[in-house]
Amino acid sequence: MASADILDYEADDIDMEEDGEVNFILDNSVLDGIVRMKEAAKRRKGRGFASEGTTKTEIKHYEGVEADDEDDVAQKSVEGWILFVSGVHEEASDDELRDKFSEFGQIKNFHLNLDRRTGFIKGYALVEYEKRSEAEAARVNLDNTDMLGQIIRVNWCFVQPPKK
Amino acid sequence: MPRGKNDFYLRYYVGHKGKFGHEFLEFEFRPDGKLRYANNSNYKNDVMIRKECTVNVCVIDELRRLIDDSEIMQEDDTMWPPPDRVGRQELEIVMGDDHISFTTSKIGSLVDVNTSKDPEGLRCFYYLVQDLKCCVFSLIGLHFKIKPI
Repeated sequence: MASADILDYEADDIDMEEDGEVNFILDNSVLDGIVRMKEAAKRRKGRGFASEGTTKTEIKHYEGVEADDEDDVAQKSVEGWILFVSGVHEEASDDELRDKFSEFGQIKNFHLNLDRRTGFIKGYALVEYEKRSEAEAARVNLDNTDMLGQIIRVNWCFVQPPKK
Repeated sequence: MPRGKNDFYLRYYVGHKGKFGHEFLEFEFRPDGKLRYANNSNYKNDVMIRKECTVNVCVIDELRRLIDDSEIMQEDDTMWPPPDRVGRQELEIVMGDDHISFTTSKIGSLVDVNTSKDPEGLRCFYYLVQDLKCCVFSLIGLHFKIKPI
């Protein structure tokens, strides 16, 4: 298998003009939006603004996961459906959270990340179910519920890309 | 695209150029929720991993919280060790009215942080980067079922 070039591109990304000129279709509106947003910022700090600037990796094409149903707000992951939980108490236990979520289906994957400095729970978790219906049930039933005195929020982790 | 107080952009890069080419890790969160992740190395003729997905608003909100709590927006990289042959790290964040674009060398361990000219600021950077990587590796790892590192 040939090694990928940093400037790898796909046929779809090339727009052939009638006279044979080739233009890459970049998502210009998004790039413009980002540039405008950066320019709108009132306070700037850092060496990245100096002449040496920052590294441009200029990767043209990234791989994503295709949507099953384009009208669904949620996006399926490679092997299941992932929920993002926030507002998790810093002393919450892995078992306690798993138990709550296990009620709605078998948990395929579960990440409850720690704060790298303190060792306490950072405050968010990712929960994966195999079926959309299981994830939906967990989301609807556990969003805005109390855990150790804090309200947890449960939502789809990944969504469909914004329509152009 | 929402502007002003709701502006959010985050980009982190760490890399170096050496025997195995331009080896780097880069991830970027765009205002529309798009997360782009790239990990490149030519070690043993390896190929680049390039993934993208769109995260929900709740994920962006959690990133804002992580960044706010770290107070990185109050720091400055002026006294931090500059990028060198060993490598460079870049952290660029736009949040509301503030835009930071910090560059520094690779940080081997807390020893490097504690012996620098701005241990408190660099420590803040050091832990925030670890927390951000942790989050991104979970997102990308679970969504694509790959172990990024």
